[in-house]
Amino acid sequence: MKEITTLLLPRYLSFKNAGISQDGGNRRVRLLLFTVIGILFWTGVFIAFYRVLTYFRGIEEFGDILAHKLLSMVIMTIFSLLVFSGIVASLSKLYLSRDLILVHSLPAARGSIFMARWLESTIDSSWMALFFSMPVFLSYGIVYKAGAFYYLTAGMTMVSLCLIASAVSVFLVLITAFILPAGRIRSLFVLLGLIFVVALIVAFRLMRPERLVNPESFASLILYLKEMGTTGSPLLPTTWAFDCLSAALANLKGKALFNLSLCWSCTGALSYIIGWTADLVYFGGYTKAQTSSARLLVHKIAVSSHRRRLFGMIPRPLRALVVKEVRTFFRDQTQWTQLFLIAALIVVYLYNFSVLPVEQAKIRTVYIQNIFSFLNMGLAAFVLTAIAARFVYPAVSCEGEAFWIIRAAPVELRQFLWVKLFVYYVPLLILVELLIVISNILLQVTPFMMVLSVVTIFLVTPGIIALGIGLGAAYPDFHAENSSQSVTSFGGLFFMLISAAFIASVIILEAGPVYQFFMADIQGRRLSNLQLGWLVISFVIVLMICALAVILPMRLGERRLGN
Amino acid sequence: MIELVNLTKRYGRTLAVDHLNLTVEKGELFGFIGPNGAGKTTTLRMMAGILGATEGTIAIAGIDVAEYPEKAKKIIGFIPDRPFLYEKLTGMEFMGFIGALYGVAEEDFPVRAEELLQRFSLYDWGDHLIESYSHGMKQRLIIASALLHDPEIIIVDEPMVGLDPAGIRMVKNIFRGLADNGVTIFMSTHTLEIAADLCDRIGIIHRGRMIALGTTGDLRGTARLNEGDLEEVFLRLTGSGEETL
Repeated sequence: MKEITTLLLPRYLSFKNAGISQDGGNRRVRLLLFTVIGILFWTGVFIAFYRVLTYFRGIEEFGDILAHKLLSMVIMTIFSLLVFSGIVASLSKLYLSRDLILVHSLPAARGSIFMARWLESTIDSSWMALFFSMPVFLSYGIVYKAGAFYYLTAGMTMVSLCLIASAVSVFLVLITAFILPAGRIRSLFVLLGLIFVVALIVAFRLMRPERLVNPESFASLILYLKEMGTTGSPLLPTTWAFDCLSAALANLKGKALFNLSLCWSCTGALSYIIGWTADLVYFGGYTKAQTSSARLLVHKIAVSSHRRRLFGMIPRPLRALVVKEVRTFFRDQTQWTQLFLIAALIVVYLYNFSVLPVEQAKIRTVYIQNIFSFLNMGLAAFVLTAIAARFVYPAVSCEGEAFWIIRAAPVELRQFLWVKLFVYYVPLLILVELLIVISNILLQVTPFMMVLSVVTIFLVTPGIIALGIGLGAAYPDFHAENSSQSVTSFGGLFFMLISAAFIASVIILEAGPVYQFFMADIQGRRLSNLQLGWLVISFVIVLMICALAVILPMRLGERRLGN
Repeated sequence: MIELVNLTKRYGRTLAVDHLNLTVEKGELFGFIGPNGAGKTTTLRMMAGILGATEGTIAIAGIDVAEYPEKAKKIIGFIPDRPFLYEKLTGMEFMGFIGALYGVAEEDFPVRAEELLQRFSLYDWGDHLIESYSHGMKQRLIIASALLHDPEIIIVDEPMVGLDPAGIRMVKNIFRGLADNGVTIFMSTHTLEIAADLCDRIGIIHRGRMIALGTTGDLRGTARLNEGDLEEVFLRLTGSGEETL
């Protein structure tokens, strides 16, 4: 045990010393920002659940069934998230971390190394789920007027659930890493991404949320109620956790303690099983993971004459930067998982528009279609911000320790940053324009709204990308083990806040005059001179904001990176 | 060829390089030695245009590095102490990338790159991703890429780290040959035998200041030693020997 705590010591000390490191000031600001956002989110979850549960309690008999169904769904969702994040965390902690070579060179038992890494990955993958599930259980406790026994039980159940999920994840990772051929460990991320995307799309399709607005689709209320009252399999830890919490809420101490012991005995048994499995397969899998990773696609892509002509227009040093950027991006298999997730996000996004029951709305269809189209612009821009936060913001930090090559090369930092902007701008502009055009076609909006959406996105996209590149350059982290995580840094959060403010300002500036124009069109009248002036001024300001959103962050990034 | 005038670098309150003045002639192989934290790497990085100076000027072949960094970098080959590279590129792709950045003519590139990869025993690895290279192979690739554009000046920080004995001998021969052909080499090293064997002149930097400059014989004189090798001279001048005793 002492060995395990000693192995965990560097992590604890790094965390403790972070405040006195050179980055201490930045960290404090980041911590403050995270705390504020965390508290806001936490409070939001609490208010939402408290209101829903209070409403449910007001419904005779059926309300309790709904509240319990919600609890079981919450537990199931948390458990699934814990398993997925546990797989990612344990894969990284056990096989890919940079410090593994040092750790394995230490005179520590392999079993202790494994246990320490497992505990670390459990904490990494669970703390957030644990923290944000608190307001849910708190609201249940308050609404059902539960006593201290419930809160104690809820805490112990959640800790046990985290350990079970993490043990299941690590078991899957241990076996997969052992089976996979050497050099394919990193491909596991790709496999995971694919599985997750398929599961997400299938689950979404099975849920068919559009039925909720169509009461006629429910054949029988009794059948529906019966379905709602069904509990999960008695062999699943989520069922024990649910039974434990619902019993504790009803102050049935015997039943609650029985289910709690089921949870903890399962935790104990799984800990033993993974320890035993690790003894057999961990070191073998780890050894294989140390060989260089094999390329998933090794064939050379022939450069077509079109592409050669296209790239031929760019000066050679800049072309070299573009080619390097594209190659390094696509050869990093960890990026693929994210690409799959984005693909799933887009499928779900467009699917939502295809099933939107606009014709059933009581308000005039043309009106609501165009309102949706207007909101869609903002939504698409926020989707772009999320994608940019994951790919564009870390683009400069992705250079990592190899950034010296750029600094030593006869290339201006300005050129380097503009190449980055260009590389991300083209595909992302195509992606967002496609999103906008397809969703507008599905909504059957007026030609005016179609043109407005396409033009607005065309103007906003360079600003969002430039904010990502510029702020990424202003707050780079070349030493990060995983540069994509830099989005959770102060600069990353700053980027998301500024980007959201930028999109909101454009949408707000356009909303007023567009509404006037639209209503005039519907009512078949002409715009007054005042309204016309308002329209022109608003769009000029939008143009200016979009231009500033490109120029200012790029200049800031260049200046800060140069220093 | 290289001229440092009052070169100074401060990191907050720490004075890393303190009013350094130095001239290195064309075709000279200059050794730059000093204890850990003396300011060697900082000086080299300022010369390569990677770091900005707090005070003073650097002229490379008459080009002010602060004023025309890109122009100066075109004629410099910089070799850092740690071989950080783009792991997801192949060796040949990396050479192509560097060739394009430094303006190596497209028609000359294949022959030049192949010749360098062969010279550094990397030709068979040219199509492998850099992430599969050993430390020494990465170091050799960096040196090969730094020579791709026929630099007039090579700035090199600890060139022998991670190289095997054959690699060390190869690099020594290459550097000597380049210097004989008029290339100026500014080399920082901790390996004093290499500095003594290879360099025309040696500068010793301590706490950011140049405390001795000249041939091994000159340095011996500065240290007031009648005999002894560079190691003894170094220990005497920097006081490191007394500290260890």
